[in-house]
Amino acid sequence: MLIDVNSYIGHWPFRRLKGNTCKEQIARMNAAGIDKAVLFNLNGIFYKNVQSANDELFEALNENSEYRKRFIPFATINPIYSGWKHDFEESVKKQGAKGIRLYPLYHGYELSNPACIELAKMARDHNLPVAMALRMVDSRPSSWLDVSKEWALKDTLPLIKAVPDAKYLILNLANNSNFGAFNKDELTMVRQTKLLMDTSGRMVMELSDMMKNYGSDKFAFGSHYPILDPVTGLLRIEAMRPEEATKAEKEKLYYENAKNFLGL
Amino acid sequence: MKTQNRRDFLAKAAAALAVTGSPLPGAALSLDRSPASQDEQFPPKRSLADEIKKYRKIDAHAHVYFTKGNFEQVIDIADRLNIGKLVISRPMVPGGKGEPSEFIECNNLVLKAMKQFPDRFFGQLTLNPQYPKESMEEIERCIGEGMIGVKLYNHVKINDPLFYPVIEKFIGLKMMILMHMGIGIARIQYDAREPKGVSIPEDMVEAALRYPEAKFQLAHIGGGIDWEAACKAVIGVPNIFVDVSGSNNAANMIDFAVKCVGIDRLFFGCDSSYYQGVGHVLAAGITDAEREKLYFGNYNKYLKSIGRHVD
Repeated sequence: MLIDVNSYIGHWPFRRLKGNTCKEQIARMNAAGIDKAVLFNLNGIFYKNVQSANDELFEALNENSEYRKRFIPFATINPIYSGWKHDFEESVKKQGAKGIRLYPLYHGYELSNPACIELAKMARDHNLPVAMALRMVDSRPSSWLDVSKEWALKDTLPLIKAVPDAKYLILNLANNSNFGAFNKDELTMVRQTKLLMDTSGRMVMELSDMMKNYGSDKFAFGSHYPILDPVTGLLRIEAMRPEEATKAEKEKLYYENAKNFLGL
Repeated sequence: MKTQNRRDFLAKAAAALAVTGSPLPGAALSLDRSPASQDEQFPPKRSLADEIKKYRKIDAHAHVYFTKGNFEQVIDIADRLNIGKLVISRPMVPGGKGEPSEFIECNNLVLKAMKQFPDRFFGQLTLNPQYPKESMEEIERCIGEGMIGVKLYNHVKINDPLFYPVIEKFIGLKMMILMHMGIGIARIQYDAREPKGVSIPEDMVEAALRYPEAKFQLAHIGGGIDWEAACKAVIGVPNIFVDVSGSNNAANMIDFAVKCVGIDRLFFGCDSSYYQGVGHVLAAGITDAEREKLYFGNYNKYLKSIGRHVD
């Protein structure tokens, strides 16, 4: 079994994406042997009223009964925009979102923002993961209209410290994600938090070492497709030698960690 | 949970191919079946391990570093991904003056690596045309020691007249001229570390049109450059080859590059981002034969032209 914890539908305004519909995602998943995928709607980054993107996501999922079985939808919430609590209620309780997605760099707030912290507490109280990416795209070749700031893993700490008993899905480890960036207390906190990181990011170079330092339950296969190619995130797992990851440990990365984290 | 046996999967995949008319991402790959639980069946999981073994590879844009044990580390990850040969260089430190002592030291490191792993590393020298005498001497020395081309950095633009003698020398040698490309945000605001002398694809086009007999390699379209702009810039310039290396494994980059310049002018490379380099070629919507060309055949064709090909 294989679960992809990082995939998208929707549009990216600065270049044409392919594979960004439910139908195309299913075709990709079948070709790769992916059983289920966490699904986000990219349009939630760009619509001021993110609930429109959530509506799009669930309308797309309702087009085919298979989509509801294969995709694990996360709703985008912008905690500094009017009506975000209503959006939470709508997307979680009525539409069936299985997690919350934040885009602080695009929506223009800090993780220490009281509304963001309140949102994380609401997600915690509903046992829903909070997802964030260190970056959406490589900022270097992106458009002059795109945000230029990217995060390191440590930049997620303000929210984790504020709500340490929530669940966090950290995606696209594209910048410094080394455990050495944390002090002893911070590293202990990261290890103790219900935190799952995907394998799509460029800094996932020594996955076996990262598993040793953060914990083997802290990682799961993710592709970040169709922004990144659909293979590299899996290749990082497959290329580990038996002495670096046992078959059982690889199974955790393929699906067990995701299954446990997402409560499937 | 969805249930699907292998026959169903293959039938659906074939139907999808018939609809799209082109390979799905990875549809050309062989598949195996991961164990299913007793009450569930899943789509067969792609066997990347088999795919890694299936294709021979020449990394046309590789580096070695001064850190202890680096050569062995490079070989280790190359072994892991079945990269048989790597074309290595050691560019000078960004922001430095690029004096002869710097490029000689870099080239000595490459020569050392070539000697330690003669069956795995091909070497490329580096130089700085602001020091013409020393640069020409370094070409003689390094080619004499078995190097197969030159890797240039950002001290001087590739279309600057200072480079003409270097280009003419490599025309005589029939060898590849690999040039770093400027990293920046959509070609408007360059990365802070890039100096004025950094080349952009249009500079290479100018040099390539001036010297149609020369062979140029445009560096790392996955290396933080605007890969769409780079590929478009070199359409119709037959003596520019494009390497797909770099840490940015944006989906469809290779498909776009094939569309712009054709499969025969693309080189596989990693630029030290090995998983992305191998991964996005596996993901590309190209045929097996095209993937073989990209991973191995295209660069080996160049090696054959200088009598250094891999059997």
